[in-house]
Amino acid sequence: MNRTDMKDAMAQDVDVATRPQLATSGEILRVRDLSVQIADKTVLDDVTLDIGASERVGLIGASGSGKSMLVKAITGLLPRAARVGGDITMGGTRLQAGDDAAFAALRGRYVGLVFQNPGAALNPVLSVEQQVCLPLRLHYDLDAGERRDRVMTMLERVGLPASLAGSYPHELSGGQQQRVGIATALITSPRLIIADEPTTALDAIVQRSIIDLLVSLVESAGASMLFITHDFAVLSRATTRCMVIDRGRIIETGDTAALLHDPRQPQTRLLVNAAKTLTLNVNPEHHHA
Amino acid sequence: MTAVSDDGKRFKRSGRDRHATGNVPLRMRFGVIMRSMWQQSGGRFALIVMACWIAVSLLSLFWTPYPLLQTDGGHAWASPSAAHPLGTDGVGADVLSWLMAGSRTNLVIALLTMLVSAMIGLACTAVMVSGRRALASAGVVVVDALIAIPTVLLALLFAVPFGASIAVIVAACGMTYGLNMARIVKPSASLAARSAYVQAARAMGVSAWRVFFTHIVPSTFPVLAVQLSMSAGTSILAEAGLTYLGVGVPSGVPSWGHTLTTSVRLISVYPLTVLWPGLTVTLVVTALYLLGDAIRDCADPLANVELRKLAATVSRQTHNTGVDA
Amino acid sequence: MRYLIWRLIWFAVALLGLSLLVFAALRILPGDVASVMAGTNATPARVAAIRSRMGLDRSYPQQYADWLGGLLHGNMGVSAISGRTVASQIGSHAAITLPLIVLSLLVALSIGIPMGCQAALAGSPRVRSVLHTIAIVGGAVPALWGGLLLIMLFGRGVGLIGILPSQGFPDAGWHAPRAALISLILPAITTGLVAGAGIMRYTRACLISMEDSDTVAMAMACGMTRRQAMLRVGLRLSAAQLVSVAGLTFAQMITGVMVVESLFNLPGLGAMLINDVGNRDLIAVQSELFLLAAFFLLLGLLVDLMHHALDPRLGERTQHVGGEEHA
Repeated sequence: MNRTDMKDAMAQDVDVATRPQLATSGEILRVRDLSVQIADKTVLDDVTLDIGASERVGLIGASGSGKSMLVKAITGLLPRAARVGGDITMGGTRLQAGDDAAFAALRGRYVGLVFQNPGAALNPVLSVEQQVCLPLRLHYDLDAGERRDRVMTMLERVGLPASLAGSYPHELSGGQQQRVGIATALITSPRLIIADEPTTALDAIVQRSIIDLLVSLVESAGASMLFITHDFAVLSRATTRCMVIDRGRIIETGDTAALLHDPRQPQTRLLVNAAKTLTLNVNPEHHHA
Repeated sequence: MTAVSDDGKRFKRSGRDRHATGNVPLRMRFGVIMRSMWQQSGGRFALIVMACWIAVSLLSLFWTPYPLLQTDGGHAWASPSAAHPLGTDGVGADVLSWLMAGSRTNLVIALLTMLVSAMIGLACTAVMVSGRRALASAGVVVVDALIAIPTVLLALLFAVPFGASIAVIVAACGMTYGLNMARIVKPSASLAARSAYVQAARAMGVSAWRVFFTHIVPSTFPVLAVQLSMSAGTSILAEAGLTYLGVGVPSGVPSWGHTLTTSVRLISVYPLTVLWPGLTVTLVVTALYLLGDAIRDCADPLANVELRKLAATVSRQTHNTGVDA
Repeated sequence: MRYLIWRLIWFAVALLGLSLLVFAALRILPGDVASVMAGTNATPARVAAIRSRMGLDRSYPQQYADWLGGLLHGNMGVSAISGRTVASQIGSHAAITLPLIVLSLLVALSIGIPMGCQAALAGSPRVRSVLHTIAIVGGAVPALWGGLLLIMLFGRGVGLIGILPSQGFPDAGWHAPRAALISLILPAITTGLVAGAGIMRYTRACLISMEDSDTVAMAMACGMTRRQAMLRVGLRLSAAQLVSVAGLTFAQMITGVMVVESLFNLPGLGAMLINDVGNRDLIAVQSELFLLAAFFLLLGLLVDLMHHALDPRLGERTQHVGGEEHA
């Protein structure tokens, strides 16, 4: 057992100690007939989806199609003015829209979020260590030394040197900032990771390394993932299933490889073509396909 | 003290204003903004109060229920009645007549304060966004330093040579509000100053002044308008305070502060008289604050759909004529 | 550090500029101060005596240099009317005004910040809009009128619930601390309420601007409820701005404080300044105005430094630690 594995095992302690009921459920996220209206505009329309244990699902859609709204609705981050209908069940809890406390109990513990633009999302007055530690502080009653150990392990796993623990976000590069974001999302070993285009704010070269990092960490933790991205290569490599959202509705869903090679809906075809041109290091065969 | 009402978000927004509505003539934008303000309850209230204020000011030039100097010694501190709708003050003068006449003085003070503070504010902004780095940063620090000086100290200073006068109020308010305005307008101004079209205009040899007034000032317009209406409101409050302290409007000149001041004496015996000038000031200042809020909501193309539609129509039209020609 | 030095240098320059402004404004006086002070039927000899005693017979640069030199040595001159030194005059009046301002600010902050948070975060939209209206209307009330209404409500002897003194300061001053403090309560509430409405507006605006920020969303994603995230993260991120607002409020509150002092018959700095300006007591007005303005410049400096301390992004120059990201 090498050092990283040992630390992994330590991180899993948290789950075993505090979430016995979650282990029994094979279903990680269950959404039924989810509808969201904001200012009389329907942004989500009867969305139904399931994510099972260790399943990695991709979500693609044009901008304004409701991708981010879906993420916000699932995690209870919608603006106050939103009207929500339908059912969300996460970690065995049926969540009522507007029950902020119930959502908050799951956020950062059962579901971790990776934001699109870490420069705007990371709290500018918290140091890297304080930031990564925040979900632990909010959900678990650990002593300071133990918390610090976990944070330092996590920083190492996301490839940040320990010397950066005391730095503030504005002192980091964009890639380093997103590594902090990933560490914060994963510090409590959540069962579900939702990543909302986690690399669009980054340089092209950094993008690939961040995605690889995220996918490998989720994989090794055995967590499920909902991944919003336009990166064709990532979709086909990291996700098993893929959903297409258009104007607030899920219009197509299926096996990632099949969906990307043979899109049925015209909107999907448009998106897939756009994704192909945007994707870095695409295999030449994909262009001919 | 650094930026008070500006966060990064507004900073970015005002930069985008240009792209959204820059091609729309100000006159057309004004119509749309007014219409959307009328549709808000706060904006409508503000517009109605403003209209009444201006109308009463004009009316008072020709007619007031009683001549200002006519006093009725036998009916001092009279309660409201058919003859004196708002009662009379300590010398038996009609309170309504004085309030009506006062509204024009306050209107003049508010307008002059807006003018002076806009001039000072824009001058400071011009220095702060100027191309010369040393000048610009000196400007920022001087504005940061001077902004802390209270209006009343300036008014007292100016009152020594000039005595109590409207000019003292306008100078003191104009200076303090102008500095504040400069600091709030600065982010959007410096964003415009760094933008590509300003760089292009400079490269083409357009003079710095022309660039400032044709490109930079219009881009700060939404923020500027909000600040101006706030300044107008605060100038009314300042007038009341300074007049009471004896360094504002000279005695004998009607103003709301003057009416408030004369009715303060014997407040315990005749509390009704003091109600009216206070209510008037509160009402008008509230309206001016709401006006500022309404302008902010309606002049922002990101928040106002109508404005975006207008911009889209105009750009389509210009595009079409371009093709035809 | 660089900002601090830069700011201190400009603080000194601003002080110098301020002294010039005060000096010049008081010299463009139409007419002769000495003859105004001597009275209408004074002999030319008496006028000349006053003039030479006040140093008004010297050239302007010399007068300016004398005054500045005196200020640097802590000698602010002697009031031509009362004969007391300006320093002692300011000291005795500030003993009323400064506590009054501090009390007012305490009232303003303790009302403005919680109510502003509530105006932004209350669950019911109706409560939010009522609180917003209160903030706007409250800020539009002239201090003079607000004070009158409070006297009519609570003033001892005149008010409906006459429980608080509304006139004067105890003769014993701060030697009778209880009575002195009680006499400041109603005036402090007056200015505090009006200024508090302004702080409430700003607190609300700051929090609302944070509402859809990614930082608050991230705090919620870590496990905070919306309310927790807004109060612990949103409010903290607005703190730098709120300190600036509180500083400006503090500076502008002095107008209301002077009005209220006069209304409640408190012999504070307002009464002293109005009196000296009315008497055209040149030497006293010059030093008093300069000193007060300098006090507010210093306040501005402190607020600026606090603003910088509260926001690490403004602290030092942005630097990337640990080199560039490796692919």
